[in-house]
Amino acid sequence: MKQTGKRLFELVIFLFVLSFISFVFMKAAPGDPVRYMLNIDDVSITDDRIEELRNELGFNDPIYVQYWNWLIRFFQFDLGESYMTKQPVLNELMNKVPDTLALTFSSMAVMMLIAAPIGTLAALYKNKWIDHLSRIFALIGASVPSFWLGLLFMQLFSVKLGILPAMGKGTFLHLLMPSLTLGIAMAAVYVRLLRSSLLESLGQDFIRSAKARGLSQARIFFFHAFRHCLTPVITIFGVSLGSLLGGTVIIEVLFAYPGVGKLVVEAIVRRDYPVIQGYILFMGLFVVMINLLVDFSYRYLNPEIRLRGGDRR
Amino acid sequence: MNKKFYISLLIVLLTLLTACSAENANSSAEGNSGEKKKEVTFLSNFPSETLDPHLNYTAVRAGITETLVRVNQDQELEGWLAESWDTSDGGQTWTFQIRKNVTFQNGKKVDAEAVKASLERNIQVSEAMKTALKIKSMEADGQTLAITTEQKLPQFPSELVHPNTAIVDSTLENMEQEPIGTGPFKVVSFEPNSKLDLERYGEYWDGEVKLDRATMTFNEDANARTTALQSGDADIVYRPAIESLEVLKSDQSIKTNVVSSLRTHLLMYNSGKETFKDPNVRKAFDALIDRQAVANEIMAGQATVAQGPFLADSPFSPDYEKKQFSIEKAKKYLEEAGYEKKEGKMVKNGKQLTLKLMTYSYRPELPLISQVLQSNAKELGIAIEIQQVENIDEYLAEKTDWDLATYSLITAPRGDASYFLNSAYMAGGAINPGQIHNDELAKLIEELNQTSDKERRNEVSKEAIQIIDQEKLHSFLVHPNNFVAYKDHVLNWQTSKSEYYALTKDLDVRTK
Repeated sequence: MKQTGKRLFELVIFLFVLSFISFVFMKAAPGDPVRYMLNIDDVSITDDRIEELRNELGFNDPIYVQYWNWLIRFFQFDLGESYMTKQPVLNELMNKVPDTLALTFSSMAVMMLIAAPIGTLAALYKNKWIDHLSRIFALIGASVPSFWLGLLFMQLFSVKLGILPAMGKGTFLHLLMPSLTLGIAMAAVYVRLLRSSLLESLGQDFIRSAKARGLSQARIFFFHAFRHCLTPVITIFGVSLGSLLGGTVIIEVLFAYPGVGKLVVEAIVRRDYPVIQGYILFMGLFVVMINLLVDFSYRYLNPEIRLRGGDRR
Repeated sequence: MNKKFYISLLIVLLTLLTACSAENANSSAEGNSGEKKKEVTFLSNFPSETLDPHLNYTAVRAGITETLVRVNQDQELEGWLAESWDTSDGGQTWTFQIRKNVTFQNGKKVDAEAVKASLERNIQVSEAMKTALKIKSMEADGQTLAITTEQKLPQFPSELVHPNTAIVDSTLENMEQEPIGTGPFKVVSFEPNSKLDLERYGEYWDGEVKLDRATMTFNEDANARTTALQSGDADIVYRPAIESLEVLKSDQSIKTNVVSSLRTHLLMYNSGKETFKDPNVRKAFDALIDRQAVANEIMAGQATVAQGPFLADSPFSPDYEKKQFSIEKAKKYLEEAGYEKKEGKMVKNGKQLTLKLMTYSYRPELPLISQVLQSNAKELGIAIEIQQVENIDEYLAEKTDWDLATYSLITAPRGDASYFLNSAYMAGGAINPGQIHNDELAKLIEELNQTSDKERRNEVSKEAIQIIDQEKLHSFLVHPNNFVAYKDHVLNWQTSKSEYYALTKDLDVRTK
């Protein structure tokens, strides 16, 4: 209970510091959304009008005043409105988050379906053909740009075979191509990681003693070696999860699958401050959550960590 | 054991895939069993985060909403929801007659009161439209709407062509998801930046709507758009990849349609710098650009050479003097400006002519055009340093260290020259970062801002453009093409020069 309270307090402080730093950086970057808001590319606008709108929006106030105004609204659970769509930022984010989540988890699933068997087999049959094959796969997967892979998939599954929709969202089918594209690129990393981590744990003393105790091959593999090798994998997994949840702009654009990535890149280009600020907070919260989960999983995966914690108590 | 596991995993995956394709086959079979509906899928390259017509063009492009005035292919204004209009005092008080037989897609009659309410919302949510329309007060009486502006605004009707002035039933919420307009199509559902489903509005005021349903999808990647046309995911594709155009043309089942756009790529000179205050230097650079090569090679033939800011056939284009690419001529102009070529360098007062050219990558051809200019200038011993920035407008406005810049804009989006002339040549105009000032030109633009007679306006615009042309205040390079590719069963497709209109009541499909 005490632990949880402390963690929560830390989280609030972290988000507060994050919001302040990001706000300062955002405002320090050159440019603002005023020219976009006034459509200077097809409406006759004067510099005076641009300056007037800047004053109206408070962009000329000192930064601490602007931040204070933002903070007051934030404490009323109001993240402000997007300058471009005039919609509440919270709505903008919440409309996109479910789709991004769906894409994240389906890509992760594809990655696991590819990486787990290949990585495991590569470790078990070290320096055999399957290991060489996994090395080639990892090399190709890591070097092929994902947008090009995506276009190739489109050519194959939509143009030639006509079995998958080329773009858009809505059904399970729409998810397949983008998650394959993302999953394959990620799997390349995980195959090698899993292989090296598994080889390392298979050489551990506790495996030898388990063999000596006469446990079955399968039991040793799944309950000892595999479980032990997951610690580094889960760490990187947390990082991947964070970056996927942050949105994958190229894939979103290519497959017209609108997620938070596209939203925030647009917002950054147009300096749509409330959206950028809302996104950073939301991502900060997510990353903290993921880290907590990763920490928690260590305790389960690696008894040493749990026991060390016990010693301290 | 592991092998077994691996094989069973493969089997599961394959089963999943076959299930998917089976599901697909079923859905298309269902489509064929019912009554044949006429529908098209239009794939646009313009992202659409919201459907709010006062903030985004999609509602007009998709035929959901309409404006009071529209611009036709000859760049002339036509009445749309407004039958006619006139001004009694040279452009400050306007009277619009709203069509009698128009209804919103929820059956409500469109009268002057509804138009007034829509415009009120318009200037409340859009700072841009508030600035453009400068509406002081409005009075509605039956079908007559009287609008008074804050100042004389002879171009007021042309401002009402802007898609963001579309007329909607402003009493309703949910404008970003489901605006209720007067157009041939009403919204069924909308997924921002992904998909917009539409159906025919049966009570449309302007005659029969040919299609039953239409879908508008959005994708910003040109290659993905081309693929969608080939795979049948789209029937009409706006701007497929330029390099795929030849492949598409050779496909019997695909038609392509190419028109010159109202966009112009141009070169800006920083008149704040001593170098470019001299018209001879500007003329020299104008002669250094090989426009034909830009159109043919950099733009892959998908552009027309620009002689001035507006297309040659527009009602306010004068007879431009034909531009010629000649390094020799450029050298002569520079010599007149007091430069001489010494040891392979172009010098004046012992200093080499060294310039900084700004460009940006949003339009990938602009950095390439910059390089062509750089290499031509090098032949004369001029050193040009190219710098690429993310936001060209911000940079040019905030900084003074640049000499030249590539730029691109739609110069006459609404059948009137006043937007471009005011923004680019008046002191304090938002696209006049080069601080261009020419007394004679400023007088003409002021006269244009006070003139409401259409013929006279075109005359004044022509005179103004003559000065811009003679003085080479900008160098206009090319007008890129708008191109659209569509399946041959699509009928009556017209590519709009203004890029404002796409789905219309006449758009149709040949049923097989």
